[in-house]
Amino acid sequence: VDTFLQLTVDALTLGSVYALIALGYTLVYGVLKLLNFAHGDVFMVGSFIGYGVLQLLGGTSKPVVPVWLLLVVMVLAAMVGCAALGVVIERFAYRPLRDAPRIAPLISALGVSFFLANSMQLLFGATPRNYNIFDLANASLYTKGFDIGNVHVALLRIITVVSAFVLMILLWLLVNRTRTGKAMRATSYDREAAAMMGIDIDKVIVFTFVLGSGLAGAGGVLQSLRVPTTVAIGFIVGLKGFTAAVIGGIGSIPGAMAGGLILGFAESFSQGYISTKWSDLIVFTILIAFMIFRPQGLLGRADIRKV
Amino acid sequence: MKKAIGFALAVLATSVVAASAQGSNRITAVSAASFNCKSTITLPLVTPVTGGAGFLGAEQGSWASYAVKSLAKPLGLKVKFVLGDTPVEQGPAPAQALAQKYVADKSVLVVLGPSTSGAVAASSATYFQAHIAHISPSATRTSLTQGTPKDGTPAFFRDVPGDYIQGPSDANYMINTLKVKKVVLLDFQEPYSTGLSDAVEGVLKKAGVTTIRLSAPNTTTDYSAYVTKVPSDADIVFFPTQKPGDAQTFAQQLIEQGKKAKVFGGDGSNDPSAFKQAGSYVSNFAPDITGIKADAALVAGWKKANPGKAVGSFGPPSYGAAQIALNAISLACKAGHGTTTRQAVLGTIKKVKIKNWILGGSLRWSTKSNDPLNAKFYIFQIQADGSYKLVG
Repeated sequence: VDTFLQLTVDALTLGSVYALIALGYTLVYGVLKLLNFAHGDVFMVGSFIGYGVLQLLGGTSKPVVPVWLLLVVMVLAAMVGCAALGVVIERFAYRPLRDAPRIAPLISALGVSFFLANSMQLLFGATPRNYNIFDLANASLYTKGFDIGNVHVALLRIITVVSAFVLMILLWLLVNRTRTGKAMRATSYDREAAAMMGIDIDKVIVFTFVLGSGLAGAGGVLQSLRVPTTVAIGFIVGLKGFTAAVIGGIGSIPGAMAGGLILGFAESFSQGYISTKWSDLIVFTILIAFMIFRPQGLLGRADIRKV
Repeated sequence: MKKAIGFALAVLATSVVAASAQGSNRITAVSAASFNCKSTITLPLVTPVTGGAGFLGAEQGSWASYAVKSLAKPLGLKVKFVLGDTPVEQGPAPAQALAQKYVADKSVLVVLGPSTSGAVAASSATYFQAHIAHISPSATRTSLTQGTPKDGTPAFFRDVPGDYIQGPSDANYMINTLKVKKVVLLDFQEPYSTGLSDAVEGVLKKAGVTTIRLSAPNTTTDYSAYVTKVPSDADIVFFPTQKPGDAQTFAQQLIEQGKKAKVFGGDGSNDPSAFKQAGSYVSNFAPDITGIKADAALVAGWKKANPGKAVGSFGPPSYGAAQIALNAISLACKAGHGTTTRQAVLGTIKKVKIKNWILGGSLRWSTKSNDPLNAKFYIFQIQADGSYKLVG
């Protein structure tokens, strides 16, 4: 039972971060039908912004602000920085190719991914950056929390999961309960018809990039609170986020959330109960199975075309 | 149609054979070519410059570069030092591509590295075919120089001891000093960590210690599920990573889950700036050379050339590898009266003996393998202030 509970805690932590990344993929795909392969690298930039803010505010050994404020500022700074980055990427790498064949923006996305990873390396080097949250407030984020039986749920994990879910709920409310969200949904459904109805498509697309990249920034900080980050982390994290989006149904917001959690559970439980050696194999086998038996994903819409 | 396909296949096959033959002839020609010792020699160091093990390249590069700067001129050589990047995340492909590049470059007589065992295994045959000696300052997998079949070739040398010493040293320290009863070993599905884990596990099992073997993909970032699999009564988690930050994360996640086991890292996690969890252990092939009196001037010179940087354990063997390479070229040039070949340099490597060896004592070669003679591993325990204290 303890192992099951611990793996559930691990899965929720991992899955909530995957869900944040998957949301970025799904938002952009929903509106632009573009697989934004640079998204993982935006996540990486977010993790570095968080690191930079942490250092500016005194680091973990001597923070100049209370711990809660430090964490909030790190997450917000990463969200704002990544949102701005998303706008720049959209403006210079994707907008000029909006009417080009679909392969062109895809290649451009890969180019942006390499550009970001290599520029960051040029600027900050290849050395992994560790937030060292363990050193913050006498390791209280690790030692405080609550216990379920023999399983300790650390405060840091609670912060990660709760923050991710709060962001997901806010996004859901924004998309489903606001005028801007309605415009996003309309654009996603039929871009041309939405434009004819007076929706400013450019604004909607830019806003989509702001949202998706902002979530990636938050995800970057939330993950790096627990594990070190490097300029190379974007690739594997992006791949996992993309997988989560596909499993959930790319283009579907609840699907991305579900896909992230499914991936987190699949990874943790396969490591815990089947084999640590084959966990990646199991995870990507699930992806292949979805592609074969339910290509639209768990909550995605089947693409019906009039022929 | 069938005829056309058949003809196309025949042309393709002929082209492939012709291209391979031409490539092979070219390698032979470049390898046998006489090199004027007054020309500029290119000395590459093949190491991870980017990625999670990028710290390795930064440290090794600074020391090898310093060796070239301070030793080439007194030996009468003109040397251009270059770095070749082999990120550990990308597997063997970059090492293979770099080997092809250096083989084709007439000015390359010796290669430093590759730094990691996997990269050596992937490229040693290419260097051997071209008679290029390659001297690694950190690849420790036993099968690179010993046993049958070997992953390295006769052109491969290393100036640090292999896991045939590290494995038993680490395991015996756990058995005799730490009195362990249960040890978890985690490998990362690449040659360095699987080889070292095997070496440690073998000795532990012989001594009756219970072992549990786990295996993680090299791309793993979050080790929570692995920590969950560590039994609460395990004494040690042997964690031979090449990414020291991951050893730190693992040690912290053990504490988070209330596990008493300590992390024991191999030479790949020996980085005081990244792995600093108090109570953990780490082994390495090099001592802290700042404590060696004969190295005082050398350390001062390196520090002057690299202000603000700390002396680690990976850098000094790279200085040593460059020293061996330059001395071998110099000896071969003297024997060839101003000219030499790659083959001549390769044959001279084991004739190099260095009296004041940077890692202490003198450098001599084993007569049985291309390993240094009488080298040993050192075990450190991480202190509360993050410093490494020599304990074994």
